[in-house]
Amino acid sequence: MSAVGRVVAGAGLLAAVALLPWLSGSDPALAVLRARSADQDPTPEQLAAVREELGLDQGPLPHLVHWLGGLPRGDAGVSWVSGAPVLPEVMTAFAVSATLMLGALVVTVVVAALVCARTVRLGGRLRLRQERSGAVAAFLAALPKFLLASLLATVFAVWLGWFPSSGWEGPSSMVLPALALGVPSGAVIGGLLDQSLPAVFTEQWVRFWHACGFPPSHIARHGLRAAVAGVLPQLLPTVVALVGGAVAVEKIFNIPGLGRLALDAAVARDLPPLQTATLVLVLLGVVAGVAVGAVRRRLLGPALRDGALPALNPPAPRPHRFVRRVGGTCVLVLLALVVAGLARDPLHVDTAARLAAPSIAHPLGTDALGRDLLARLGHGALRTTALALAVTVVSVLIGLLLGMTGRAGAGLTEVTSTLPAVLAGLLTTAVTGPSVWGAACAVCLVAWTPYAVQAAALFEQERATEHVRVSKSMGAGPVHLMRRSLLPAVLPAVVRNAVLRLPTTVLVLASLGFLGLGEQPPTPEWGRLLSENQPYLELAPWTVLAPAGALVLLSVVAVSGTTRTE
Amino acid sequence: MRSVTGLCALLTLTPLLTGCFVSSGSGTSDGSARLRVALAVPPAQALSPFSNDATVLSKLSVAEGLTALNAEGAAAPALATSWSRKDATTWSFELRKATFHDGTEVTAESVVAALGHAAAAKVKPRVLSDVTLTAKADDADTVMISTTNPDPVLPLRLASPALGILAAKAYAQDGTVSPVGTGTGAFKISKLNGKSSATLDRFDGYWGGRAKLAGVDVTWVADGTARANALRSGEADVAEWIPTSQAELLAGDTRHDVPSVRTDSLVLNTGDGIFADATLRAAARAAVDSSAVVGPVFGGYADAAKGLFGPAVGWAADKRVAVTGRADAATDVKAKTAGRTLRLATYTNRAELPEVATVLQQQLEKAGFTVQQDVREYTQMEADLLAGRYDALVFSRVTLLDTGDAVAFLASDFTSTGVYNIARLKDAKVDQAIAAAAQESDTALRQQKIMQAEAEILRTDAVVPLVHEKAVQGISTRVENVALDPRERTLITAATHLR
Repeated sequence: MSAVGRVVAGAGLLAAVALLPWLSGSDPALAVLRARSADQDPTPEQLAAVREELGLDQGPLPHLVHWLGGLPRGDAGVSWVSGAPVLPEVMTAFAVSATLMLGALVVTVVVAALVCARTVRLGGRLRLRQERSGAVAAFLAALPKFLLASLLATVFAVWLGWFPSSGWEGPSSMVLPALALGVPSGAVIGGLLDQSLPAVFTEQWVRFWHACGFPPSHIARHGLRAAVAGVLPQLLPTVVALVGGAVAVEKIFNIPGLGRLALDAAVARDLPPLQTATLVLVLLGVVAGVAVGAVRRRLLGPALRDGALPALNPPAPRPHRFVRRVGGTCVLVLLALVVAGLARDPLHVDTAARLAAPSIAHPLGTDALGRDLLARLGHGALRTTALALAVTVVSVLIGLLLGMTGRAGAGLTEVTSTLPAVLAGLLTTAVTGPSVWGAACAVCLVAWTPYAVQAAALFEQERATEHVRVSKSMGAGPVHLMRRSLLPAVLPAVVRNAVLRLPTTVLVLASLGFLGLGEQPPTPEWGRLLSENQPYLELAPWTVLAPAGALVLLSVVAVSGTTRTE
Repeated sequence: MRSVTGLCALLTLTPLLTGCFVSSGSGTSDGSARLRVALAVPPAQALSPFSNDATVLSKLSVAEGLTALNAEGAAAPALATSWSRKDATTWSFELRKATFHDGTEVTAESVVAALGHAAAAKVKPRVLSDVTLTAKADDADTVMISTTNPDPVLPLRLASPALGILAAKAYAQDGTVSPVGTGTGAFKISKLNGKSSATLDRFDGYWGGRAKLAGVDVTWVADGTARANALRSGEADVAEWIPTSQAELLAGDTRHDVPSVRTDSLVLNTGDGIFADATLRAAARAAVDSSAVVGPVFGGYADAAKGLFGPAVGWAADKRVAVTGRADAATDVKAKTAGRTLRLATYTNRAELPEVATVLQQQLEKAGFTVQQDVREYTQMEADLLAGRYDALVFSRVTLLDTGDAVAFLASDFTSTGVYNIARLKDAKVDQAIAAAAQESDTALRQQKIMQAEAEILRTDAVVPLVHEKAVQGISTRVENVALDPRERTLITAATHLR
């Protein structure tokens, strides 16, 4: 069942990619010509020459057949732009990206461990009484990767000279990019783990083992093992997806990775490398998905098969005063920012006040065109959060639905989880044309995977609990089970995941701007504020501090808000 | 913990994967100095001279043509020592004694073969798009080149990096061209590492004398901030094209600006939409104040535009013709536009353009226009631009293309049959003026006629020149004699050395 799903999903995706050059309505020959020679005049003769050379008039099918036919021979065709064989190029880029991803994985594990260290320690000692605030995880998860990358490059490469600022020439080149990629990922995974741990530590066996005198470290280890099983599948869309989805960081550190290769190929409508890169990502997704699934099943052991898992009912801990304070303060600050900002003009260009530091006239300073940052933040708040929330809600719904299908949906999830949003963006612009809704659709197409893998894992675990077995034996129907047992167990965790990923959604939406997807400038929007001010990080730090801070506030508010409702 | 064991297994794989790092050859075996250069545009076609990559070959003194351009933009000797025009369509070039990097001699035959390959390329290099040339060997060191139509700028044309002369083994059967070890310049390419890096070594048999550097290590760094970082952290000695947002961060003595032949302008769509109305075009021209972008957007690394050709085109200022006969600006823009929105386009490939567009939007709105921006990556919108789907475009254009002659740019961008005519200008007087310039063979008169054509174009208000860009090159204080070339054709030469 799952193998069929994988093949169908993979084939569907490759077919869609194969259509790309012809889909968009614009001439692929023009894009290829442009990639070869930027100042070339697009004369009809030149375009005809390109078309004839590449056989563009034949349409997509012969190209797909030819490409597929070459694969068994290890021939993935030649690039339309450079004429060089595609396979060696793609495999080199893949090796680079996979190495970088492993580095990011190490950072992710360390950060995740740090984030939930306190919960594990207290849990093992049975002293977990107060609610976790999750503010640290929310803070780190809201840090934009490209901003972190710029910051690390400036501080540790340019100022201190400890690591190379760019290139890919040895293990030392790996440190900064792995940190930039791994810290936010680790915060997301650690945050999820931190949230699921209390339920484990209130299970009966913990008290029993404690009474028997098992050392706390022993209890903590076994508790962690149970919680990790539910969070492990997140590695697929969070870390493994970095192989193709780390374009911004690859650019900043000049890393010749697969993300940049795929993006350049897609922009130039260079089909053979794009197809091959997509195939590699699809295979990677499937392999990683199967591997993660196997590890997870081993962690859970025979209890999963025998339906003997304990129900993970989170306890109702005493609300932490600190949580309320942090959440409340953030809400107030955010509201104050928005209200103050709305009273000002976000579009007024005042070139005399370029990059002005925060002052009474401009409380958060101005950007490179002298526009008031407070005003831009305030006016962008509603638009940014509303769109990101809408996309998140749709993604969560898709994720839940696919998660319910269990193994049938696993193939689609694995195939999509490593797909870069930019590729989805290119496919959607071809259909929707450039618009805000195009951006939303593109992100919805790929952003559901974390929720789907999570929901699938949790549904499976929940179905294997004793109380579900008991309910079934007492005649509970599937609808009743879903409403009363499964959803209440799965939904809170998925919501928590979505909330932690809200800032990422804002940034991914903005990252499609170069395709014409999303709000057009000069409309203020938080993701755009960050990306348009990124070059001024060092010259005028306040230009990125303000929007990054707003994103962190939003994240903390959302996390503490959902903590209360659980 | 099995997950920990699994993780350890993954970690042990990491050293195995370190073979995946891209090593750039940094062989400094003889202890003499090598230069590290960070270039901006990664090779599109493995440095084939028939592609975008051609300029890299001339920038790094790898390949040479028969001629070169001197500081004034006139043809100077390179592989040819002298030339003469035999009749309207035939020129004769005398070759110098030179050797290719692979040891073979430069002969009339090899030049004929090289030019023949360029002319026969499936997708022609841009420099040959408006001319058909045939080369013949007259004797061992004389080449006769004839064109089907009289071509007064042939010596300038031959200076194009796309017409660099490479050894016979560079040209493969399948039409690909490799300059690796086949050029004639001061440096030979020893190794090309995909799109990441290249290793160049001094060519001891160079006709112009041994280069002072032992070699050049080139890395391609597409991101402007990353190039600036590489220079600031000492990982590169020369970093080209520092974006204006980073220029202020460089130490003053490493920051060198040079007027570029690139002019940024506001191109108005005269074909349809609101700017089909000449009075509205005039109103837009009057509304735009380009001095407001020179400082804030370009950080001073630009000159407010006086016309289409800026300070990098040395002769332009003296020969400039006053613009007369412009339409009067519409007094009531709101009434004339009748509720239509001005669709203002620009692209993200050059970081400054979106900022310029935003400044212009405010200026145009002040004048009564309603403006809607559309900003995308260039290839995502080029088809729409050529189809006239926008009213205005903030456009950055190289005014002296491969020929080093301004007529090619004017003809493709402003004549009614021009293939790059985004303004969709169809004006008989403009066509005439450009045709007159194209036919003139006397250099001074040709320049005069080019400036007359410029005045005719500006009269139509189809284009509002904004700024002439300056290129900022980052050069470490250790390096001397880096060539600052407005045409961006030379950078590292035989005379470049480390202190």
